[in-house]
Amino acid sequence: MPPIVEVEGLRKTYRLGDVDVHALRGVDLSIEKGAFVAVIGASGSGKSTFMNMLGLLDHPSAGRYRLDGEDVTDLDRDGRALRRNHKIGFVFQSFNLLPRTSALENVSLPLLYGGRTVPRAQAEARARALLQAVGLEDRAHHLPSQLSGGQQQRVAIARALVNEPELVLADEPTGNLDTRTSVEVMEILQRLNREHGLTVVLVTHEHDIAEYGTRVVTFRDGRVVSDEAVTRRRDARAERARLPEEEVVPA
Amino acid sequence: MTLGNTARIALTAMRRNKVRAALTMLGVVIGVASVIAMVALGSGARAAIDEQVQAQGANLVFVSSGSFGRGGGGVRGGAGTVQSLTLDDARVLAELPGVRAFSPQVRGRVQAITGNQNWNTQVEGGNEQYLAIRNWTIASGENFNGRDVLTAQNVCLLGATVAATLFPDADPVGQLVRLKHLPFRVVGVLGPKGQGQWGNDQDDVVIAPYTTIQKKLLGITFLHSVMLTAASAEAVEPLAVSATRLMRERHRIASPEEDDFSVRTVEEMAATRTQMAQTMTLLLMSVASVSLLVGGIGIMNIMLVSVTERTREIGLRMAVGARTREVLLQFLSESVALSVAGGVLGIGLGLAASRLLTGALGWPTQVTASAIALAFGFAAAVGVFFGFYPARRASLLDPIEALRHE
Repeated sequence: MPPIVEVEGLRKTYRLGDVDVHALRGVDLSIEKGAFVAVIGASGSGKSTFMNMLGLLDHPSAGRYRLDGEDVTDLDRDGRALRRNHKIGFVFQSFNLLPRTSALENVSLPLLYGGRTVPRAQAEARARALLQAVGLEDRAHHLPSQLSGGQQQRVAIARALVNEPELVLADEPTGNLDTRTSVEVMEILQRLNREHGLTVVLVTHEHDIAEYGTRVVTFRDGRVVSDEAVTRRRDARAERARLPEEEVVPA
Repeated sequence: MTLGNTARIALTAMRRNKVRAALTMLGVVIGVASVIAMVALGSGARAAIDEQVQAQGANLVFVSSGSFGRGGGGVRGGAGTVQSLTLDDARVLAELPGVRAFSPQVRGRVQAITGNQNWNTQVEGGNEQYLAIRNWTIASGENFNGRDVLTAQNVCLLGATVAATLFPDADPVGQLVRLKHLPFRVVGVLGPKGQGQWGNDQDDVVIAPYTTIQKKLLGITFLHSVMLTAASAEAVEPLAVSATRLMRERHRIASPEEDDFSVRTVEEMAATRTQMAQTMTLLLMSVASVSLLVGGIGIMNIMLVSVTERTREIGLRMAVGARTREVLLQFLSESVALSVAGGVLGIGLGLAASRLLTGALGWPTQVTASAIALAFGFAAAVGVFFGFYPARRASLLDPIEALRHE
């Protein structure tokens, strides 16, 4: 099976005033279908730039990028938008839910785009099923402001999955969450990866979060400095079971 | 994205900022309302002029005798002083193609006397078609007939003012009225016409067979004018042209300066006033349009604010696959929704304002469907025009920067 992501000699140079900033200095990487890759590195290491490339939010200064067997390096704006819609799901550190919009509508947002018309009833059914998958079926009509951080991130995960993407990109998804909800979010990502074979790329700067993955890629100064399989993968479900029961505070 | 979804997003965005949306719309509301009210005022003025023209007689062509001494030196008379227009001229003019009805006309000022009442009034002589040509109606009694004209009977019709003055308490029909020295039997009373174009009382008139007036009362052999009714509004101009040509031929006139007659149409006489009304309408409308324009700038301003406020939302929509055109349409449909909603409210306000102008100030107004369509179309165009720049700005945002925007 061809890898989902294949990048060769990926470079990105920004011009900041008179100085050229080399965010990426030649990255080669390939990610197999069904992998759970953690990308770690300090801030300024180029990991975020790399994620923007993978997510087709930005295009490289040099190098090639093949997504799901297709060379997407030179796609134009709208071509990238279509691939993002069809093949990539995003989970952000700050959730990025539309305010004053119900969880259900937030989840079905990607269905509005992508050049195909999904009937409203069908879109709603799909969104509802995904909310159920992240354990929020009873919060479908809640607004983001009525949800806790962990719940908001779960809505965001459901949104990332609504178009059945090939690849989920999670950019510090636990950065704004406490330990318990972090474990809950990681549990969902691990479950999706294990049970549905979903490919996940997780950006984090915390080593212990990275150990939920199967492989850790470390960035430094715009280069990959190490790429290793995780020997003792953490299991979020088991960890959550061990956490002391907390009183459930309704959001 | 489907059109329905786009419209839904636009309406949701408007509902979230009700006060802001209402204030933004206000400019368009006032603009559209004033355009409609101003056009209604202009149309009303034109309709009033048209009505007065119709009162003169529809599709009317006047051939009247001119002044003597035209084109040469010496003393000149006023219009109607030349005595060259004859009954033969009238008969030949009546044969012209496109003439539906004709009547000779003579007129003079006389003292009308009955019992102990008297009144100085205008007497007009015509044939039995005169009433129809001049759009007179009969309030009581009946018109004189062709025999009365042929045999120069002493019969007359009284205008409403004359009837009320001479017979304040009695029915004038069948009574006798003395015009100068001649007794006339009143056969009918005319329906009122009211004020004329120049504020004159059109009902201060006595109408009688031209034969009687010409020979018995005034003792003249010529006519003051010949009135022709064209078969249709389109036939008026050609008829005026052919009447002029015919008269020149008959009177052996070589150049227009020597004309001893004049040919005019009622439309021509009202043209200046119509033109004035039009200029006024145009002026008022351009002032109203300026307020519509200002309303549009208000929309643009708010849309720019909205794009800035919602930068993150735009970034997110782009991340999940919104294309340039989809973002553009989303914001464009918001500004169009604002301007169209403003347009609808403006139409309502404009109708109310027109009614108020008529009700409170008595100015004639006429709201036409085309004025409404024009104002509405203009409002929608304002939404598209002023919404385009903010929408384009939104659609060209960089998704990464938009997502990072605080």
